Amino acid sequence: MQFRYLLEEAADNMRTNRATTLIALITTTFAMLGMGIFLLLYLNMQSAVGSLREEIKVIVYLRDSVGPQALAELRAQFSGDPAVAGIEFISREQAVIVFRGRFPSEERLLGGLGDNPLPASFVIKIASHFRSSEAVGAFVQKLRAYPEVEEVLYNRDWVENLTATLKYLEMLGFGIGIVLAVSMVTILANTIRLTLHSRREDIAILRLIGATPVFIKTPFVLEGALLGAMGAACSLFLLRAAYGVAETKMTLQGPFWGLGKGLTFLPWRVSLSMLVLGMALGCLGSLVSLANVGDVRRQ
Amino acid sequence: MIEIFHVSKTYNGRVALDDVSLKVDKGEFIFLTGRSGAGKTTLLRLIFRAEVPDEGQIVVNDRNLAHIAESRVPYLRRTMGFIFQDFRLLQKKTVFDNVAITLKVVGMPEGLMRPKVMNALRLVGLDQRQGALPSTLSAGEQQRLCLARAIVNDPQVLLADEPTSNLDAQLSAEIFDLLKVVNLRGTTVVVATHSADMVSYLRRRVVTLEDGRVMANGTAEA
Repeated sequence: MQFRYLLEEAADNMRTNRATTLIALITTTFAMLGMGIFLLLYLNMQSAVGSLREEIKVIVYLRDSVGPQALAELRAQFSGDPAVAGIEFISREQAVIVFRGRFPSEERLLGGLGDNPLPASFVIKIASHFRSSEAVGAFVQKLRAYPEVEEVLYNRDWVENLTATLKYLEMLGFGIGIVLAVSMVTILANTIRLTLHSRREDIAILRLIGATPVFIKTPFVLEGALLGAMGAACSLFLLRAAYGVAETKMTLQGPFWGLGKGLTFLPWRVSLSMLVLGMALGCLGSLVSLANVGDVRRQ
Repeated sequence: MIEIFHVSKTYNGRVALDDVSLKVDKGEFIFLTGRSGAGKTTLLRLIFRAEVPDEGQIVVNDRNLAHIAESRVPYLRRTMGFIFQDFRLLQKKTVFDNVAITLKVVGMPEGLMRPKVMNALRLVGLDQRQGALPSTLSAGEQQRLCLARAIVNDPQVLLADEPTSNLDAQLSAEIFDLLKVVNLRGTTVVVATHSADMVSYLRRRVVTLEDGRVMANGTAEA
């Protein structure tokens, strides 16, 4: 098999049907761009959720009756739990200072209540492997079982909502991906079909001189793969340009909502996967239109 | 070399070949003659396995075509060469590439390919036009190019279907002279033609078909 010759044939096919090739390239680019945009949004959102999860803290309010001895034992027990990455004790006195610092205009409120009403607490930072809502939930349940613990609070709702949104996005992305992939395969299959039509006499000659179906089909499969890869490359180029604009705007306007570290572009492995996906879909499109080409009786 | 045993072929109820038996020896040159629709082209198509007979057997180079899998047909065809009246050339390829494609198909390395292609082009007198496109060649040159393509891989059998029907008498004689040279190199040649002049010019065995049956089988009279 002469790969160079077959590749040249594929390039020849594309040159011969320039208008069709261009239309196929544009549509492939937009299909891959759709997938790319979705992937970029998804990966950045996933990274934002990851950053927000790092901020998950559990506040354990203690009963006033807990003495220094029990306090030390509790601290030791909590610190020994694998779900705990860090622990900080806030005494009742420190709690008042924090309250006054945060709400200076509400100091009258504390005065009206007489004795210090604020409880002592532990602020626990959750270890990275225990940041899923299920793991945090289980850990909180465990904490609530301690008789010394009055109440346990953590910022659960928004983390859970974000995680759920991410799951919906995954499903939506899968659906969008399938629709775009099917349209891309259909467009490429029709492009290859047109090439096949324009080369039908050449194909008959090749059959006659003893070309195997693989020899006949390979240039068309390569054409599909080239179109798919070129579409994917163009979409990555456009996506990178759009990303550059978004990144600049974000730098000017400052970080927001979990994206404290700014946006990140598709990692090179994902970009490479997009190229491979483009090629694979291109090959698939070609194979769909090449189903009957190997029939040796068609002269 | 080519043995045909009681072969019949029907297309949509119309009989194309009816109980045809024929033997062509290795290195022989034969003519298939008869009017249009007599079954000449059908017989050639059966020999290169573009069709399968409804009945009977065909053996080419000791291979029974009935027992050849579809996937092996390309390999059978690599042992044959073909010439058609409508040339069937790759219009966007040069003269050189039109001949070289036969060798590319069999995976011959580039280094071995060039001398073989040039030899074939020299034989048919087109070596000076190797870079030309078929559309710039005359009809006679195009048919000679077909011949070069057919013989470049040293086929055991050469099948020609009305190779001179688009050519005048002088160009036809040129083509038949070339076919004679190819035959002298050891290739078995089967030519379907209705050109009585050429048949008597070459004086080879003639098989006459009529309504799908063999009506005569013998050497042409001068």
